[in-house]
Amino acid sequence: MAVDTIATVDVDKKLQAESPQAVLEYALSQFDDIAISFSGAEDVVLIDMAHRIRPDIQVFSLDTGRLHPETYRFIDRVRNHYQIDIDVLFPDAAAVNKLVREKGLFSFYQDNHQECCSIRKVMPLKQKLLTLDAWVTGQRRDQSPNTRAHLPVIQDDRAFSRPGDTLTKFNPLANWSSAQVWDYIRSNGVPYNDLHDRGFISIGCEPCTRPLGPNQHEREGRWWWEEATKKECGLHQANLDSK
Amino acid sequence: MKITLVKKILADGSPCAKCADVQEKLESSGQIRQIDETLIADERDSDSPGMQLARELDVSRAPFFVVEKDDGSRDVYTVYLKFVKEVLGQQNSAADEAREILENSNDLDFL
Repeated sequence: MAVDTIATVDVDKKLQAESPQAVLEYALSQFDDIAISFSGAEDVVLIDMAHRIRPDIQVFSLDTGRLHPETYRFIDRVRNHYQIDIDVLFPDAAAVNKLVREKGLFSFYQDNHQECCSIRKVMPLKQKLLTLDAWVTGQRRDQSPNTRAHLPVIQDDRAFSRPGDTLTKFNPLANWSSAQVWDYIRSNGVPYNDLHDRGFISIGCEPCTRPLGPNQHEREGRWWWEEATKKECGLHQANLDSK
Repeated sequence: MKITLVKKILADGSPCAKCADVQEKLESSGQIRQIDETLIADERDSDSPGMQLARELDVSRAPFFVVEKDDGSRDVYTVYLKFVKEVLGQQNSAADEAREILENSNDLDFL
């Protein structure tokens, strides 16, 4: 079942006040072809929550080929802990081969990470999302006060939708802080990536992730050699909200 | 079918770079002839036609395209390469399309 655009906006207003569990309840009640995107980090809480609602919840993970060994082990630990299938997605071999042949294995240090991430993450993600009616991410507002300040709990995902169809994206953790996520992990005995015990907060590919010290924002642990991305194509929310 | 392009003017009065890039691509390919209407979303004026349409359709970025079909339904495209592929029939490389999606939503790489 698809939720149309207008309904999505209205539903978001209601779900903003709800708990992540309630958002997941709603999402799973509305869609059969829905899956959680699991990065191998603290978004494991979504699996824990969803598994209590629907034990056979679909989960997929993007294996870029550059993850830490700890992350691979963690993905397998989660699979065994919850007794679920995790659909591990791989990048297109020809596209990776072309990139590496032309630019080497660490081109992202010279130009930026966009090309590599496009090939290793976005292309396989796009293929996966063509098979779904809805997906769930662990995105939170506090991960990036600049670019995620207006992160909705439910949104119409126009970038990845099938031609002439809709794709709904849920961000149940949008209003949770990192502290709330970790409270949940500890309180519920949720397994977590060993890298977190070694100072890693946001975990991605090994070459592009580093541990952090006290008072550093988690974004500083990713692509630290790049300048902060300028966002000029967003329509000013203040203007959009003014009516 | 009616196709509307919405372009953005920044608060300082300049056009957004992405909008200018898309406009140039549409013109150089001749696809601009298939755009029926162009609206401006002016950050300085929340009542500008493009801003009104963005609000109505819950679009938070520009440029974007609205395709109004004969039955009155509307499809919104915020990814240029997705629009030209699905609506205008242009062939794109999957890598280029993925790159544009990522550039439009730079939090995706945190997945």
